Amino acid sequence: MTDTSNTTPTTTAREAAAQKAKEAYFTASQRQLIWQRFKKNKSALVGAWVLIILILSGLFSPFLTPYDPTIAGRDKEYQNGAPEIPRFWDENGFSARPFIYTTTRERSIKTNFRWVTTVKTGLEDRRYMQFFVKGSPYKLFGMTFDTHLFGVDKGQIHLFGTDSTGKDIFSRTFAAINTSMAVGTIGVFIAFVMALIIGGVSGYYGGWLDSILQMITDTIRTVPAIPLFMALAAFVPDTWSAETRFFFISIILGFIGWPTLARRVRTHLLTERNQEYVLAAQLCGASASHVIRKHLLPSFTSYIIVDLVISFPYMVLSETALSFIGLGLKDPVNSLGVMLQNVTSADVLLNYQWYFIPVIFFITLVLAFVFVGDGLRDAADPYGETS
Amino acid sequence: MFQFARFAATRAVLAILTLLLVSFIVFSLMELVPGDCAERYIAFKNTQGAVITTADIEAERVRLGLDRPYIERWGKWVWYAFQGDFGDSCILRLNISQLLGDKFKISLGLSLAALVLAYMIAIPVGIYAAVSKNRIVNNVLRFISYLGLALPNFLLALMIMLFSTIYFGESLTGLFSKEFRDAAWSWPKLVDFLQHAWLPVFILGWSATAFAIQTVRALMSDEIGKLYVTAAEARGVSGRRLLMRYPARHALAPIINSLGFDLNRIFNELPVVALILTLTEAGSLLIDALAKSNDQQLAGAIIFLLTASIVTINFLTDLLLAVMDPRVRRSILK
Repeated sequence: MTDTSNTTPTTTAREAAAQKAKEAYFTASQRQLIWQRFKKNKSALVGAWVLIILILSGLFSPFLTPYDPTIAGRDKEYQNGAPEIPRFWDENGFSARPFIYTTTRERSIKTNFRWVTTVKTGLEDRRYMQFFVKGSPYKLFGMTFDTHLFGVDKGQIHLFGTDSTGKDIFSRTFAAINTSMAVGTIGVFIAFVMALIIGGVSGYYGGWLDSILQMITDTIRTVPAIPLFMALAAFVPDTWSAETRFFFISIILGFIGWPTLARRVRTHLLTERNQEYVLAAQLCGASASHVIRKHLLPSFTSYIIVDLVISFPYMVLSETALSFIGLGLKDPVNSLGVMLQNVTSADVLLNYQWYFIPVIFFITLVLAFVFVGDGLRDAADPYGETS
Repeated sequence: MFQFARFAATRAVLAILTLLLVSFIVFSLMELVPGDCAERYIAFKNTQGAVITTADIEAERVRLGLDRPYIERWGKWVWYAFQGDFGDSCILRLNISQLLGDKFKISLGLSLAALVLAYMIAIPVGIYAAVSKNRIVNNVLRFISYLGLALPNFLLALMIMLFSTIYFGESLTGLFSKEFRDAAWSWPKLVDFLQHAWLPVFILGWSATAFAIQTVRALMSDEIGKLYVTAAEARGVSGRRLLMRYPARHALAPIINSLGFDLNRIFNELPVVALILTLTEAGSLLIDALAKSNDQQLAGAIIFLLTASIVTINFLTDLLLAVMDPRVRRSILK
């Protein structure tokens, strides 16, 4: 570059820094470049943070939430209960420790035989929140704990209210995030493996094998996915346990999700397989699977990762739709779809709107995934760098 | 002309092959469900107090033709299916075509209306978004199309139900008012239907519109920077005339091509939306058949009809593209 002997030390340092930055740019690995571009995209970055927080809160849900999400954790005294919002003050004065009020339920001739809940707002009716309380035991990473982040000194606290059996909606929401992530992960993984095998074979060999596989792929793409899911899910016998059902549903989701990805793998392989480096490997005597795994796949790993992130929310949403109509997961496995079953009744719509609180979390989760996926797609595109 | 006929014929053969493959999948699914029609009929007799034996079931199987080889039964099913006859539902003991009646046409109509609505909004908005340099407009549109994915139709339907019940006190459900439900088609019934149908059409069109805007915008921004657009501009063509006559024509060709898959996406959401809005059409019938009565004949018929509509649309759009796009036409005529 320029002759540095005549210039002042500060410019030398600046130039050296610029030089270093340039060098870093040219020697950066693909992953570093993607990260650099991804960081510039503010909405994707926010999405990534939201996603990380949601995933972590899903993983640590037994600790973060006060009660067992299944029927075991139900509150017999507070069914269809409204959300209880902790407060720091009321007309009786301030309190450094957040508190909620005591509620009583009554059903008699006076209330027309409906359960009527009354909230007592006196000073002596305050129930104070406690932190790191001992509660129902749970398993996390193979160990058993019984400490929960928060609780209340008397009775139970329900931040998002309870459902018709008295299950805590707050606890269920976080458990459901976990389930959805698990279903999505298994589904995406299966779809991914199938897409790699089918797309890989079809793209690498080409010819009649390609034509047949493409015909099958296109046919599966023609059938609307949810009706097909429904038809497959109808096979699940009622006698299966909730866990078996869970795995079966995830597998079905994977089995139907592969065609789009398989098509992309195939298109890429079709163009890549005529490149010289492939020929070189073949001339060295490499087997087909070796060429695909070691030479072709690494050439588009980043695209595959992006596709996986983008297809993730579709899996989650399909599961939700399926569970919602009663063909997917069932209690005690918890997911948004399971939680939304039966909410269309007028009773719920008119009186118990807090049943819908989990929807907000799921819209956030899916939006976060879409933002991150889009950001990654832009970042992974080497020609996308315009500015 | 002859080449065009040959092209159409090839496409038609391909479409029929696809349908056959789909019918095979659907038929296999129907067959795999434990318990066949013979067992169901006989089980029904059992509930009426008749004593039954395995021989009775076997005899019933022979009567229904269920003892024939698999491929033969599939062939028969497909043969009649193409003629619009799907046999009887052995749970409801009714002819399926009779049971479906207008319902499938209503579903198809709702979905097509949603598709038309989606593109009526998406084409102008998408083109505008591609042309406009306005960051705010673009970001808002991007957010809306993301929301189209994150708030899928059935959640949107739920939310609309929730708000309409709270604020209007009525739930906007169903497709017909009570007095028209079983009436024959007439002018007042049609008006009543249209008064109810706008909501399902809007809900079904919601995420389709979001997707379509995204697609139109992407295709349009690819085309707009090309040299032929600049050349046309240099010749003095400008404004709407420039957009419509040059880049838009190119950009819209792939969209025509993907109409079938858009319809697929709309159909996809139809059953769940139908369940929420308690629509009485094929989608909710499908849910009934699968989730409640396990009626595989009915479910198979509906899935087959859905796919057949999509395959038909794909076939028609292929032809349309060949007619409209001189490049495709030339490649066929070669």
